[in-house]
Amino acid sequence: MLERLKTLGGLTVPGSQVPLSVATAGLLEVAEDAIVTIDEQHRIVLFNRGAEKTFGYAREEVIGQELSLLLPERFRATHRAQVEEFAQGPTVARLMGERRNVYGRRKDGSEFPADVSISKMTVEGKLYLTAVVRDVTERHRAREAILQLNSELEQRVADRTAALVETNRQLLRKTEENETFVYSVSHDLRSPLVNLEGFSKELRITADELRRLLGDPAVPADIRDRADRLIAVEMQESLDFIEAAVFRLGRIIDALLRLSRIGRVQYHWQVVDVRSIVERVVQALHVTLTRNHADVRIVSDLPPAWGDPTAIEQVFANLINNAVKYLDPSRPGRVEIGFTSRETGPGGEYFVRDNGMGIAENHLPQLFQAFRRLHPQVAEGEGMGLAIVHRIVDRHGGHVRVESQVGRGSTFYVSFPGSEKEGGPP
Amino acid sequence: MSHKERLLILLAEDDDGHASLIRRNLKRAGVINDVVRVRDGQEALDYLEEMRRKGMQEANTPLLILLDINMPRVGGLDVLRQVKSDPQTSLIPVIMLTTTDDPREVHRCYESGCSVYLTKPVQYEQFVEAIKRLGLFLEIIKAPTAAVGQAPPE
Repeated sequence: MLERLKTLGGLTVPGSQVPLSVATAGLLEVAEDAIVTIDEQHRIVLFNRGAEKTFGYAREEVIGQELSLLLPERFRATHRAQVEEFAQGPTVARLMGERRNVYGRRKDGSEFPADVSISKMTVEGKLYLTAVVRDVTERHRAREAILQLNSELEQRVADRTAALVETNRQLLRKTEENETFVYSVSHDLRSPLVNLEGFSKELRITADELRRLLGDPAVPADIRDRADRLIAVEMQESLDFIEAAVFRLGRIIDALLRLSRIGRVQYHWQVVDVRSIVERVVQALHVTLTRNHADVRIVSDLPPAWGDPTAIEQVFANLINNAVKYLDPSRPGRVEIGFTSRETGPGGEYFVRDNGMGIAENHLPQLFQAFRRLHPQVAEGEGMGLAIVHRIVDRHGGHVRVESQVGRGSTFYVSFPGSEKEGGPP
Repeated sequence: MSHKERLLILLAEDDDGHASLIRRNLKRAGVINDVVRVRDGQEALDYLEEMRRKGMQEANTPLLILLDINMPRVGGLDVLRQVKSDPQTSLIPVIMLTTTDDPREVHRCYESGCSVYLTKPVQYEQFVEAIKRLGLFLEIIKAPTAAVGQAPPE
């Protein structure tokens, strides 16, 4: 150690003028980093154990050698100039990380990326530069690995997103195909229905004419009575059943056509004044509300939405009509329409809350399907309302959900998350 | 339009049942003109073309065209557009017959120049109403006997 320290000559720590102590020498020797000092001629005068490990040279091999020995060939010329500049310049020390892309060269010719700090000091009028060199190969490798992982992750996210978009597109196309199918089938069903309806009316007309014929005095009384009974009872009953079935079929076909139209009709995207729409819907219900003594009110601000005004009106008309239809007759009916901001994130939900009969939990999963009627005895209809609401909200990129308790009432929430900026469904 | 020819009603309807119902209700509405029934839009256009070829004087000129909208080959709307774009036929009133009351379809029909739009099955009262709306034809349609040789009053 002492022998080695001699190599350092009379080096002192700048400012203190204290000779390199045994403690300092010890520090130099235990440091993991390479510590290299050069003199004004760029000759190596100090080379610690860390430097031996980093560069692969034994101290004896490099002391007195040019610093360029430790640099890749391509950097040697520029490096010398930079070192000179630093030596002449006012900066006393430059720390790690201030310079990028510094490389060292090992004895075996291999290169390694390095973090380098340099400082300068003058001893007895002579300038010495000391560099602390840290081999950051591992860190680089780790960073490369992280970058690699990151880009793989990004790729996977992009792939999944693309797959989702594709799935969505397929679903949308499927839905549209279904709607086209429903549309053409229900359209085709109307043709035979027209015959059923038309010819059952023809049969009634024929029956009337038959009855008139039977009024002819030439017809024997017993024949007339039996024929009259056939016409008035048997035929009448058959016709009643046919006409009831025709009526029901017609309603179903109309409902199907209506539902398929909901999905196919062209939207006119615009900022929709939800408040005036709701006011209009409530106004249209005025007579029903007075009769039922129901109290319908808007309980909060209703911000505008981005969507198709006709479709959005259908949503609120269905929800508010349902709320009024299924009020509990045993207590004063109350329906509240409002808007609630979401706890996190932008947007919010409109709600229609009632204190009506409520919906049993086991009915909730099918609530938004077509032809589901939970209270067929309470009100008539084809069970299309909520299916229509669902489809419209869906086309607006929004959600519809319900919270309900039997005997307490239900709250339906809908969102229309689009914005004018995006110009269409989100 | 010349009044010497035999005036009739051209009915384009692919469904036999519907055609029968229409004939019956036209009769109940007091329409006694002959009804020529064709089975699709192409046959309707062929009939009109034939009429044009023979010249209006000799042909059986329709005084009214009833068009079903949904027909094979050529639909009612296409026939309507062709009838309305030809100056020789554009004055013939056209009643469109359909099974739906889809407002867009109604709109398309009136836009293309149809006179009346009726939803099937058509009751005779609706025919009476439609014929009233076509006004000037009511009297000939109400003529008591055969349509052959009947001339509308000026």
